[in-house]
Amino acid sequence: MTAAFRSPAVSPVAVPGPSASGPAAPVLAAKGLSARYGQVQALAPLDFEVGSGELVAVLGPNGAGKSTLLRAILGLVATGGEVSFQGTVLPRRNPAAVASRGVVLVPEGRGIFGPMTVAENLELGAWSLGGGRRSRVAQERRLSWVFELFPRLKERLGQTAGSMSGGEQQMLAIGRALMADPKILLLDEPSLGLAPRVTEEILETLGVLNRSGLPVVLVEQRAPSALKLANRAYLLSLGRLAAVLDPREVQSHDQLAQYYFA
Amino acid sequence: MDATLIGQSLVSGLGIGCVYGLIGIGFCVIYNASGIVNFAQGAFVMLGGMITHVLLVRGELPYGLAILLAVLIVALLGVAVERLVVRPLWNRNAPMFVMILATLAAQIVIERLTYLAIDDQPKTLPVFTDLPPVMLRGIAVNMQSLWIVAGSLAIVAALALFFKTTRTGKAMRACAINREAAALQGIPVHSMLALAFALSAGLGAVAGIMLTPTQYTAFDIGVPFAISGFIAAIIGGFGRPFGAFLGGLMLGVTQAGAILAFGAGMKTIVALSILLLFLFVRPSGILGPAK
Repeated sequence: MTAAFRSPAVSPVAVPGPSASGPAAPVLAAKGLSARYGQVQALAPLDFEVGSGELVAVLGPNGAGKSTLLRAILGLVATGGEVSFQGTVLPRRNPAAVASRGVVLVPEGRGIFGPMTVAENLELGAWSLGGGRRSRVAQERRLSWVFELFPRLKERLGQTAGSMSGGEQQMLAIGRALMADPKILLLDEPSLGLAPRVTEEILETLGVLNRSGLPVVLVEQRAPSALKLANRAYLLSLGRLAAVLDPREVQSHDQLAQYYFA
Repeated sequence: MDATLIGQSLVSGLGIGCVYGLIGIGFCVIYNASGIVNFAQGAFVMLGGMITHVLLVRGELPYGLAILLAVLIVALLGVAVERLVVRPLWNRNAPMFVMILATLAAQIVIERLTYLAIDDQPKTLPVFTDLPPVMLRGIAVNMQSLWIVAGSLAIVAALALFFKTTRTGKAMRACAINREAAALQGIPVHSMLALAFALSAGLGAVAGIMLTPTQYTAFDIGVPFAISGFIAAIIGGFGRPFGAFLGGLMLGVTQAGAILAFGAGMKTIVALSILLLFLFVRPSGILGPAK
């Protein structure tokens, strides 16, 4: 059904290698997922899967529908199709309920609570853990783990989040998402507006998180850095799925560029 | 002019200013949670006094219990306004303008229902403590004014504590800053909105109950109080609860001064002139904009 809507680029020829054909038992599976803003179709129906422990990159030029894909998974936009996570169908238009199931998005532009302190931001990240005493112990444990990943956040605890540098704010956004005990982490362009060195640091941390078993979906403009980490990559173009790639088979920038402008 | 008279008017201005301030805080709490200016706020003020009166006189309940029940009932009505009026529009992505008009309609409906259910006669409530006025340097301060000022300050302090230290209070602030990001952390933004309406309605009710013994209440007092509370919120910088309280005090004192200097007829003119002045000269209020 959905195949009819796919761009012609998605043929068996464009899908290189067997590992790119999708995980055996996906934790996150979207079937025929589409999205619209009012009357405008922003994402044509596509299938999207993330296997356990996978890091999946979503690539594509500006306006390709990368952010829309993440927003559609969370149910932040009007969608068609179905998204299931760990075998159960996720609710639509109720992002808080989706987040409580462990599907946590670090949104584009970070979405930190600027006037609040770093400590308050992190505390609110742990909202879905509950407010009881037992959850407070769990919260403390997660907090020290977040500080291990991002030591700078510990130094800035009492500072208002909005007064920190862009890189630190991104670390806070990721740290806050980790406080929610995510079962899968989705990130929308975490490198946007950051210096290359800071980007490297953040991507490296994402790699560490992923190797510890956390599935990650990474939307990135900087394709080469994302491909270095990814198990698979979905390439979007003009609101359609253009290809599913195996990063090991993407030999050169030229080859990627070919997909971009195909 | 007599210094005592000026002092007297200052005291009564501060009393009524506290009430405006509480109503203004109600505006801010809902505005922060939803971006809506809730003009049904005045209905909550009216209902506070009215329901207490009914429970006290017709229900023959003890005064304290009547007050407590009235505040709870009005808070629940606040949730009902959110559920029945605001949320359906919200879910349909109605423009803000439509939602604001809808709250005004809710105000009128509540007002008319109260008129039908009770009557059109002004009602009053007994003072909280029946003691002679306290004399402060020749200025007689009646006990009810002290109740209003002390009660308002206690409420403002409690609110500050709530927003600063509790998980729910922080979550409400987070929703005000970035609703979508709050939802992405699993914070139930709809419940926070309902809570904001409950809180604002409860605040309005308390303001109405404290004020009624010094004046009176009737089915149609809501709109003027809503306007005063709205002005207080504008003066404070819309969306800043504590600014709104300061704004309320400023408005109350200025009005009292104007009444003293030019007579009671000037009260509304002064209030609306202050509103215009702030909208023209300093629309962000004394504390600056909230966002």
